[in-house]
Amino acid sequence: MIVHFTLNGDPFEADVEALTVLLDLLRGRGMTGTKEGCGVGVCGACAVLVDGSPVSSCLMPVPCCGGADVWTAEGLARREPALVDAFLEHEALQCGACTPGQLVAAAALIADPAPAGDIRRYLAGNLCRCTGYAPIVAALEKSLPRAVERVPGEAGGGGSG
Amino acid sequence: MAEFHSPATVSQALADLGAEGAVALGGGTALMILVKSGLLEPERVVWLGRIPELRQITVRGDGALVIGAGVRLADLWRSPETVSRYAVLAEAASQVGNPRVQAVATLGGHLAHADPRQDLAPVLLVLGASLLAAGPAGTRSLPLAGFYTGFMSTALQAGEILTAVILPPPPPGCRAAYLRFTPGSASDYPTVGVAASLVVRDRQVVEAAVALGAGAAWPQLVPEAGRAMFGAPGQDAIAAAADAVAAAADPSHDQRGSAAYKRDMARLWTQRLLSRLLHGGDR
Repeated sequence: MIVHFTLNGDPFEADVEALTVLLDLLRGRGMTGTKEGCGVGVCGACAVLVDGSPVSSCLMPVPCCGGADVWTAEGLARREPALVDAFLEHEALQCGACTPGQLVAAAALIADPAPAGDIRRYLAGNLCRCTGYAPIVAALEKSLPRAVERVPGEAGGGGSG
Repeated sequence: MAEFHSPATVSQALADLGAEGAVALGGGTALMILVKSGLLEPERVVWLGRIPELRQITVRGDGALVIGAGVRLADLWRSPETVSRYAVLAEAASQVGNPRVQAVATLGGHLAHADPRQDLAPVLLVLGASLLAAGPAGTRSLPLAGFYTGFMSTALQAGEILTAVILPPPPPGCRAAYLRFTPGSASDYPTVGVAASLVVRDRQVVEAAVALGAGAAWPQLVPEAGRAMFGAPGQDAIAAAADAVAAAADPSHDQRGSAAYKRDMARLWTQRLLSRLLHGGDR
């Protein structure tokens, strides 16, 4: 079946089976920034934004994305340069496998006017097996106010504490 | 190759689900794991995400809260109606899995999947929830307390879907709380989860309900624990209620703990929950 959605700001068309998951579609098209980790929605390596919400692309049937606004780590790296800079400044990565998912989660948190819990709670579903959590949290702590200012109409809405 | 249907109404969904090998899809966080592991090979997938009537949260004339079965957990805990009337449910929903799960998982899917470790069943049990189910024979109401019939089994008939969860208006003096014990990651399933609601009038507990999640083959009320809390409960009553929950537990041994450990944790977290409800500031 043919599914249309917006990917990283551009129109995108895919011919998929009913239960093809978004992760397989993206990687099959060469967009390997989105990683496969656990494959069951736990680790966060495959996180993408769908209509502004973070989702596990490993469990997301492509047909459920019809008409949606989808962003991957590749697109967010262009859209959120301050966030990427914050990760680099804090060396918030070691092997890098979880980094695209961490960036997606960070972008979702920045855009969330009322997230549940603090940064650590929000990122609890993004596993880093190098256990490099402290610099990731530091990068977000530093970038939250700065990045929030970049979201029109949501100044001061980072609200994570 | 499976067919994909995305009906716009409940009646169309029921028609689509009438075919052999058809399954209903909510957010996919449970169903896709079954598909990917080969446990489920649907011939037709009926996605319920395009049905507006399933996505609404409304307050009925009698004060009951009607939550559409297709409401996503992130929308449930952000809803002003949920927060103002049932803060315990909002808080529990904000703790399910991780933000990626909450963004797509639906309340109906959460309950119908019937994994005994789901967080919201014990909360809804102590709040006295009932369910609406629609099927080929029409719509019926059933109490959540009778919904689970076994391990990952429910009273839903073939071709039926949940359409709504109904919560009666909270009685005056009602306080309720839920505690989930996750010794590993905060985003893990709970080793045990316990919920309780107490109605306190003139310093007397006049209604009480306690429910256990993740401690048996399905989430369940523990009536003896509720009864122990009537009147003016002290430490003895709390201990008796906690013992009743431990006795009702029938946990499985897995990576989240041995059966004996989970039973002990069910007792301990029930004690903490009830102490907090009686003496702390929880809702």
